[in-house]
Amino acid sequence: MSEVHYHEDHGAVDGAPLVELVDVRAAYGTIEVLHGVNLSVPQGSVVALLGPNGAGKSTILKVISGLLPPTSGEVRLAGRMVNGASADQLARIGLCTIPEGRGVFPNLSVRENLWMATMAGVPLAQVEETAYARFPRLGERRKQLAGTLSGGEQQMLSMARALSVNPSVLLLDELSMGLAPLVVANLYEIVAQVSQEGVSILVSEQFARTVLGIAQYAAIVLHGNITRVGTPAELEDELSAAYLGS
Amino acid sequence: MQTFLQYTILGLALGGAYFIAASGLVVTYTTSGIFNFAQGAIAMLAVFTYWQFRWGWGWPAPLALLMVLGILAPLLGAVLYQVVMKNLRGTSEVTKIIVSIGVMLGLQALATWVWNPTSSTPRQFQKFFGPNAFAHFGSLRVPWHIIISFIIAIAIAVGIRFLFVRTRSGVAMRAVVDDPELLQLNGGRPERLAMISWAGGSFLAALAGILIQPMIGSAMSAGALTLLVIDAFAAAMFGRLRSLPRTFMGALIIALTTTYVVAYFPSKWTWSSSFRNSLPMIFLFIILLVLPQDRLRGATVLRLRERFRMPSIRTAWIAGLTMMIVVFCLKVIMAKTGVNTLTLALTFAIIALSLVLLTGFAGEINLAALSFGAIAVMVVYHFGISGTGTEARTTLWGILLAAVVTALVGALIALPALRLRGLYLALATMAFGVFISRMVLTERTEREIFGLKFTLFPTGQLSIPRPKIGPIDFNGGDAFLLLCAGLFVVIGIGMVYLRHSGYGRRLTAMKDSPAASATLGMSVVRLKLSIFMMSAAIAGIGGVMMAAQVGTVNSDRFDIFLSLALAMITVVGGIGYVSGALFAGIFLIAFIEALNLMLKKFAVDYSSLEAIFMFFISAVTVLPATIGITMGKNPSGAVSDIVEGMNKVKQSKPLMITVIGLEAAIWALTATEVITNWHFVILTFANLILVPIVGGKFLMARAMRGVPKPVPPELIGIDRPFTDEDLAAMDQALNLDGVVIPSSTTLREEPANASA
Repeated sequence: MSEVHYHEDHGAVDGAPLVELVDVRAAYGTIEVLHGVNLSVPQGSVVALLGPNGAGKSTILKVISGLLPPTSGEVRLAGRMVNGASADQLARIGLCTIPEGRGVFPNLSVRENLWMATMAGVPLAQVEETAYARFPRLGERRKQLAGTLSGGEQQMLSMARALSVNPSVLLLDELSMGLAPLVVANLYEIVAQVSQEGVSILVSEQFARTVLGIAQYAAIVLHGNITRVGTPAELEDELSAAYLGS
Repeated sequence: MQTFLQYTILGLALGGAYFIAASGLVVTYTTSGIFNFAQGAIAMLAVFTYWQFRWGWGWPAPLALLMVLGILAPLLGAVLYQVVMKNLRGTSEVTKIIVSIGVMLGLQALATWVWNPTSSTPRQFQKFFGPNAFAHFGSLRVPWHIIISFIIAIAIAVGIRFLFVRTRSGVAMRAVVDDPELLQLNGGRPERLAMISWAGGSFLAALAGILIQPMIGSAMSAGALTLLVIDAFAAAMFGRLRSLPRTFMGALIIALTTTYVVAYFPSKWTWSSSFRNSLPMIFLFIILLVLPQDRLRGATVLRLRERFRMPSIRTAWIAGLTMMIVVFCLKVIMAKTGVNTLTLALTFAIIALSLVLLTGFAGEINLAALSFGAIAVMVVYHFGISGTGTEARTTLWGILLAAVVTALVGALIALPALRLRGLYLALATMAFGVFISRMVLTERTEREIFGLKFTLFPTGQLSIPRPKIGPIDFNGGDAFLLLCAGLFVVIGIGMVYLRHSGYGRRLTAMKDSPAASATLGMSVVRLKLSIFMMSAAIAGIGGVMMAAQVGTVNSDRFDIFLSLALAMITVVGGIGYVSGALFAGIFLIAFIEALNLMLKKFAVDYSSLEAIFMFFISAVTVLPATIGITMGKNPSGAVSDIVEGMNKVKQSKPLMITVIGLEAAIWALTATEVITNWHFVILTFANLILVPIVGGKFLMARAMRGVPKPVPPELIGIDRPFTDEDLAAMDQALNLDGVVIPSSTTLREEPANASA
């Protein structure tokens, strides 16, 4: 746990979970999709949210990132309640979210996409340096529109943001969606490295196997509830049950 | 050579001003995804305000400029965004267009109210540094105003380009359009950026207006100025609402062409001035025609806030019969002027039906419904009248011919529709509408084509008599009223049948997802073409009826602004429903008229309060637009609200009997002249609107409790969550009892399960 970039006002307490959900309920319109979720992400660890389609994984991430306000319960960042904060406020204090399905602006160039990442406070030159060092291919295409990149390159671009803005918390939604297995393996290698640097990571996945290799904890999400939390080894049996419904 | 240079310089300056207005459109469209139809109206308002400061109150020019361009215009843009446009996220393109048209009509009505342009002293607007400030280049004299305009345009072009490419805020403004949520996750504030861009767009509109007005040199008029900046739409389209250099080029081409037309067309060509006026619209139409094909997008199904339920055929028949009875009862108690107003309202309702068919059922847009009416009226005038003098009657064949011709014209206008959707189509129809009013309806001279001599719009007036169909003469006011009501009911019921037919369902499918329709093997082209033709024919018939009711029509009757207002009010009423069209006609014609008459009567009766009532009369002119602007809050339309209210009445027998009984009593009292018609209107209004609301609160609370409204199967999961019973019913229907469905993941990982 080298250094935690976090706003001092929010006083990161050693040992306390960096992200915490307490009895969180959330709804789209009148339909409640999260029925009292409790979850904590300890500092510097990788927590995987696993579960089938429509279980509520993405909604949990949306609530934490500030895109969907919870109807009740508490969302805590470093011990402080952040229920009312908007997504952009949270982003500027060190929460980095990569949404489902390539978090890029298709009509901006690669460089302009990285420029947008600087709103979290890191200067452009530094963002570009980090990004191109890790993904030389992005450097070659810095003037190309992001929408014309391949799926893997787009995911690289969104990961480049996560790498370069020095977040305290990283939320990843369905990182592997629609990508070749080799690309996925590569991306998860990077996630593991980021975690080594002390960033707390919450990642949702349908492909349990790949993510369990790097996660310290996993939580199984079913029908808007977290049914079980544990280490990957503990959860082996229950995982198949969660997917097969038997 | 001298002429050429003179007009080229004028064209360049005018092009510069067009560009400034167009760049404002590009800026707001880029950041909020809303095409601001009110751009011209903002420019117009700025011109009037500037005139007020500069010449009305004699302020020095810099102070007036600072006030208008530095403070008021950006403020107006920011307020417009905060109050109106912000609410439009997640609404359909139609609603976005209609709301900004509402703003446009509202600002126009406001300007007319404050600076009554028909006042006896026409307002003059001078060039910067006065009318006699010239720069001399050899023998060439160029007004400084012209030079300034062009320089400012170039500066703005460079400035905006710099903003969008070289500054983070500018790039973020472009990012907002792509994905506002993602920008937020990056730490940006999309709402604030959009607001700033609206302030900027409004500033650019104001600047363009102040530069253009002295160049055209005529007296200031709200309508003309609003339309003048609409010419900039063509330039914005030239750049496809994105590219600023191409927008600049488009603006120059359009402005230069129009000035050359003025310079070089022989003055004996009577049509050259109307040609010059409609040239930007012709450009716009051509640009839209050659725009590359809109890609069929099916990947994302937008979840829109508008929702229209399917009208049932039984309800249609009941409503139709009720309407005929109501009209008949009203006819008995109404004065002749009342009958006339109601008839006119119904003819507009018929025209509005064409919009319901086109927009509500098929998702295409037509902003120039009345222009189709104008074409039909010309056809009837030339070919569809038998007899002369008081014996003149419109023939059935004339009406049918008019319907056929307008259908063909509709097919022509559908050409861009075959390839484009939404906004572009709206602009194409608007271009058509402006073209008709500027070019066709101004035709007074006799022309000869292939030996056939004709005048399109002789003396600017066309007399259309009432029709005689077979043995039945509809010349009397009452008979014609019943004819119009009957026509509305027949077309309306026909449309409900159409909506239920396979064709109607294909239309809905096309509206929801053209891509899915095409992949299912439907001919989208044939569907669009046919629906456009049908809709145009209905508009044509409605137009003929309208003209027959008015008697003698001039081109003002087919004004583009009236078309826009009709489209707007129909959307307000509920573009997905036949009743929405009825609402539009009644509201736009009868309600406004009645309100006006009532206020005027009060102003006379209570002369000490005259000023207050005169104020309200002016306020009424702004009313329709105000209602249009509120669409963002309730995009499904007013009728759906009324229907919801009526449903309560339907579900409670005592309430229904009370309402009908009271209404019958009110009618009987009026018919026997115990109470006046004014009382009838007020009491009816109270009975129909207030009784259900008040009664509903007390009576219904008991009845409604514990009886949830049935939700149609397709809306389960949207209106209410799935229950265990739903799931069990679904499992049973699909024969899935006890079957475990593997998820996609496990299918891939353990193929053996696929057989389960």
